[in-house]
Parts: sequence; structure tokens; C-alpha cells
Amino acid sequence: MRRAPITPYLFLAPMVVGLLVFRVIPIGVSFFASFTHWNVIAPPQWAGLANYREMLGSADFWRVLGNTSLFAAMYVPGVMIIGLALAVLVNRKLRGITFFRGLFFMPYITSLVAVALAWRWVFSTRFGLLNNALIEVFGITNPPAWLSDPIWALPSVAIVYIWQSAGFVMLLFLAGLQSIDRTLHDAARLDGATAWQSFRYVTLPLLSPVVFFVMIISLITSSQTFEVTYALTRGGPNGASTTLAYSVFQNAFVFYRMGYASALAYTLFALVGTLTLLNFTLRRRWVHYG
Amino acid sequence: MNRIIASGLAAAVGCTLAAGAAAQETIEIDYFFWSPDRMELEQRLIDAYMAANPGVTINVQAQPPSDYWPRMSALAAAGDLPDVFYMSSGFIEEWQGNGLLANLQPYVDQLDLSDYYTGTFGPARFPDSDTGDMYAFPVNWVGPVLFYNQDAFDAAGLDYPSDDWTWDEFLAAAQALTVDENGDGRAEQYGFWAYGRYAQIEPWVYRNGGRLLNPAGTRLDPTPEAVEALRFVTDLTREHGVAPTPAEMEGIRQQDVFPMGLAAMWVDGSWNVANTRTVAGDDFNWGIALVPQGPSATPDTMRAYTWIDMLAMSPDTEHPEQVWDFIQFMTSGERDATDFAGGMVPSNRVTAESDAWLERDQQPGNKEVILQLGAMPGTTSFTQGWSEWRGYGPADSGGMNGELDEVFNGRKTLDEAMAAFVDFGNSVLTRYYP
Repeated sequence: MRRAPITPYLFLAPMVVGLLVFRVIPIGVSFFASFTHWNVIAPPQWAGLANYREMLGSADFWRVLGNTSLFAAMYVPGVMIIGLALAVLVNRKLRGITFFRGLFFMPYITSLVAVALAWRWVFSTRFGLLNNALIEVFGITNPPAWLSDPIWALPSVAIVYIWQSAGFVMLLFLAGLQSIDRTLHDAARLDGATAWQSFRYVTLPLLSPVVFFVMIISLITSSQTFEVTYALTRGGPNGASTTLAYSVFQNAFVFYRMGYASALAYTLFALVGTLTLLNFTLRRRWVHYG
Repeated sequence: MNRIIASGLAAAVGCTLAAGAAAQETIEIDYFFWSPDRMELEQRLIDAYMAANPGVTINVQAQPPSDYWPRMSALAAAGDLPDVFYMSSGFIEEWQGNGLLANLQPYVDQLDLSDYYTGTFGPARFPDSDTGDMYAFPVNWVGPVLFYNQDAFDAAGLDYPSDDWTWDEFLAAAQALTVDENGDGRAEQYGFWAYGRYAQIEPWVYRNGGRLLNPAGTRLDPTPEAVEALRFVTDLTREHGVAPTPAEMEGIRQQDVFPMGLAAMWVDGSWNVANTRTVAGDDFNWGIALVPQGPSATPDTMRAYTWIDMLAMSPDTEHPEQVWDFIQFMTSGERDATDFAGGMVPSNRVTAESDAWLERDQQPGNKEVILQLGAMPGTTSFTQGWSEWRGYGPADSGGMNGELDEVFNGRKTLDEAMAAFVDFGNSVLTRYYP
């Protein structure tokens, strides 16, 4: 009998150990922690469902949940539409098109903190690029204080996230577009389809698996907002742009309430998980696998 | 071959024995602090200490505050605290309450405290901030002052702020200093700048004899004097228009508003002397003054607001005598005044009250104003859960800070905001003080 070779497992070991130590075990510990009161410096104390009860009874939690949903409602369609539009735009054979593809992708690989600092200046009330343009070019007399306005703060954060990740979404859509057989478009044109009809009835259905994939990852990304929020608004004004992920950070590393933060994190996980499952169920209604 | 192995083994054994012998004479002390930018300075001090104390090795590590506290918390949880480490007013109560700090009182008793600014020592004492035992020893302190733009005062023909300035005189000056040259309703220079930050609000409260907390320090219960102060400061923006709204200053670092010349006066901690020097440069002359005393303050109720940075000893250290010796070295009058540049005051008066500390060759030209705070009785509002109910750091958009900003921005009245932050604050405090 031949013994199974050990070599592949040895090569896998560093990755597996890293995954266990830095991901799987902390995820497990954090699940346990969500049922405790734990300030880190003292041993955790069993609290049963107290953290979850406190969460459900807290007006702040529901507000944060509302902000998170609103953010997802802006971010997911926003990044998908703009990403798709960019992909259609750069899906041509023009001179220097790779330059534009690279240009649109650039924000995605730029440090989020640097991005946020630049945008902070753009949105600055008195000295910002945006408001000075609104005043000087468009003659608007009293533009909003974007990051200090309870209505505009969250959309401003969403705009920066969309700007930042549209290039990545573009790349995914571009790959999908390029895998579509050109002869199908030629056939549609022969049948008298306009450019829009060809896009709507040929391109989109064939692209639907990519659309589905992009939707799932955008939804997950939308639940992980931290850096830009931290650098732009710190969740303000008065909590107007505090999302669940930011609230987890505040509770864990500013207030040192690891138990409560873990409960928030698992609630976020359950929500995103449920939505993803729901999407997989609804998939057969609109996703066409060629 | 065997001979080579044997001699190698012998060498290894010899090394181990030698190391063992040396270890018996060596005391190793682990020391953690939170300003990596001061590493060079700390290393110089440590080298001096080690040179004076043969056999003692100090292993030093520094992390920025954002990493320092998570790291220290993890070490505390693991029972692996360094022998000596920095402690702040904001965290000490929780650490002391969890038995993570050695009681230093037996050592302090042998010390002549008349050399120190004991008025700032309150947060280091437990259980009572006046009479309790000391669980950490202050290295330096800072306090809030009124920064003022001397050029702007000269241009408006005003006298510089004096120690007995009243709130009315302050308001009159702020009005005269608010300049809207193009008449667009947005001043090019405001008289003052403030938002809901603790270091900008509490100084007015304490200088009016007010308190935010109940006497036991377990619930938010602002006194009428505190409410009067909150109303005065928020009205500077809302009623008098002598200060910008936080919304208007959005996008500018809050500590840059004064040094950029956008506001002629500003109240914040004296550590901002350093940033103001850097940003303002030679653009204008500026000075500092005491925060004006409120109309309701009496000598009995008025308090200075100071924060101390302390050195604490792990209760598990194997070398308490040596650690205390090191703490004394770090807080002695022998320390060089230049170690405490800018608005940071050494807790030892000998170092603080030296000409070198006054830095007469730099702005502000009257740093002795800060020292006055150390001579007054002090108070703070630190509790467990403070960063949450007050709204601090990455959470400063919430809590009392977030609510007060709603007042400054004109979206809530002070009464509405106060009801909200007292209610929220007490829900936080109830968790810690049932």
C-alpha cells in the first residue's frame, strides 16, 4: 500500500495555520464573546443574551441599522450602474483604451486613507473644491456642509466608496462583456435591433451571472465600511453616518466593550448572510447561465 | 568528528553558565510608553539611567496611543504587563479597579511632595481623589488655556486678555474681533472658535464653579453653573455669531482654525502650543491667557481642569524598589526642561519653574500662564465609560460632543441637547455604576 504523500500538506500548512490563528479561531472566540461582558483587561463574564437584549432595546442600534441599510441602498446600485457604464465605455478597440481602463481602476488600488483625506478637502464647507465650484461656477449661494449635514453626510461617504470601487466592478463587468460572443450582437443588428435593444436583450441576460456575482460582493463590501467613514465623518454629525461596522469598531476599540461589539458583529454577519442566501434563492428568476 | 562535537558542546555549556551567572546580577525592567516620536528622548534618559545603575537593563517599547491601549489591554488580560508603563487620566480608574496598578503610596510617603504640582494629582488617587492612595505617579500635565491672536487684538485696538477678564469683556472682545470684510455673512476672521470637544467646553464649566457629574461621580447631573457655562459658549455661535459653526469649519483640522487666523481666540489644551507654533509660524504674534472666570464662580467652587500623564507600576513586578527608583528618576527635578517642550508641564516644579521651560525665544511669550493652573485646585469629569458618554476620539461624533455640536450647528436647542446627552450618558454610567 502506498502512503499518501505528506509534502502537499506541508506546503499547505503555513496558510492553514495562518487562517486558523488569525481568522477561524478569532471568529469562534468572538461568537463566544458575544455572550459575555468583556472589557479585555479583566476576564470575560458570562452574560447570556444580555448583549443581544441591550442591542435590540437600544434606539442607537436601530438608527445604525437604518444607516447601514441606507448606505447599502445607495452603494450597491450606485457602484453597479457606474461600474457597468464604465465597462461598456472601455469595452472598445480604441487607441490607448488600456490607459483609461488603468485610470478608472486606479482608485481601487490607492490607499483608502489617502483617498479619504483628498475627499475631505473636496467636501470641505468653506475651502472645498466642490462648494467653491458650486458657488463660483453654478452661482449657488448656500451649498450644504456636506460632511456636517445629517442628510448629506452618509451620501457623501457613499459617493467616495462608489468612486473608489467602481473601477474594480468595471473590471469584473469588462471580463463578462468580453466573453460574450460578438456574433450574437451581429445577429441582433441584422434583425434590426437598436444599440439599446441589443444591450438590453442580448448583453444584459448574458451578463447576468456577472451581475449576480457583483451584487453579492458589493452587498458584502457595503457592510464593511470603516476607513472612509473614520477619515471623513467619524460617524457624524451626531451619529448620522455611523454604520454597523463603524459601531463595531467604536464599541470594541474605543469603549472596550468586546462582548457588545461581538454581538453587533454577529448580527451584521447574520444580516449579510441572510441577504446573500435570499439572493441565491431568487437567482434562478433572472440569472441565465449561457 | 567527535572531538569537534564535544568541544562545541563544551562551548555551549560554558556560554549558558556564563549567561546564568550574569543573569543573577542583572535586573531587567520592561517599560512601555505611547509616543514613538519621543523615542530618541526616552532612549537618552534610559541610557543615562542604565549608566548610573550598572546591572539594570531597561527594555523600552513605544506604540502610538491608538495601538498602545489595545496592546496594553491584551497584556493585562494575559497577566504579562510590563514592569512600568504610561497611564492616562482617562483609563486609570478602570485599571485601578481591576487591580492592575501597584499601590505607590508607601513609596510616595517617603517623598517630599512640596516639589510637585499636587493640585493635579487627583486622578491618580483612589478611592478618594483628595485623600486616597496614589496608584500612579504624574510625569507631566497639561491644562486648557485661552489662545489669542495679538496682531488681531492690536488691529482692533483691544487690550490683551487679563487674569480677571469677565465673560462680558470676553464677549465684547470677540465681537470686536469678528470681521466680515465682504459682508457675505461669513466672517473672514471670527472672534472665537469652539465645538463640543471636552477640552473646549469643560474649562468654561469649571471656571464657572460648575460640575457635570453628581458629587459621587456616578451620574451626569449638570449643576446650574454648568448649564450657564454651556449656554454662554454655545450662544457665542448661535446668538452672537462671533464663532463659526462646526459645520462651517468642516474639512479643516479643528486645531488649525486658530493658527490659520480664522479665529482670533480659542480654548483648548496647552499641548496645542506645539501645533500652533508649527502651523502659525511667523504669520502672527500670539499669546495665552487663563480661560475667563465665570460670573457664578466662587473661590470655593472654581476649579482648574488639568490632565496628567502618569507612570504606573505593575503589581506583578519582581523589582518594585528598582521600578520606583526609575519612576523617581523620570519625575525628578533633575530632568531637563527641554524634555517638556511646548505646553507640557513637568510635574516637578523645579524643572517647570526654570527659565529653560519658559522658552522665551518662542511663542507664546508667556508660558507661565500654564503654571498658574497647577497651583489651583483641579477637577475632571473622567469616569469609566467616559469616552462613550463624552464622545471622544473616533467616537467624538456621538455622546455629549455630538449633541453639543447639534446646538452649535443650530439644529437643537441647548435644552433638547442636554436632555439627550444626560439621558444617554446616564444609560452608559448605569452600566459601570449600577
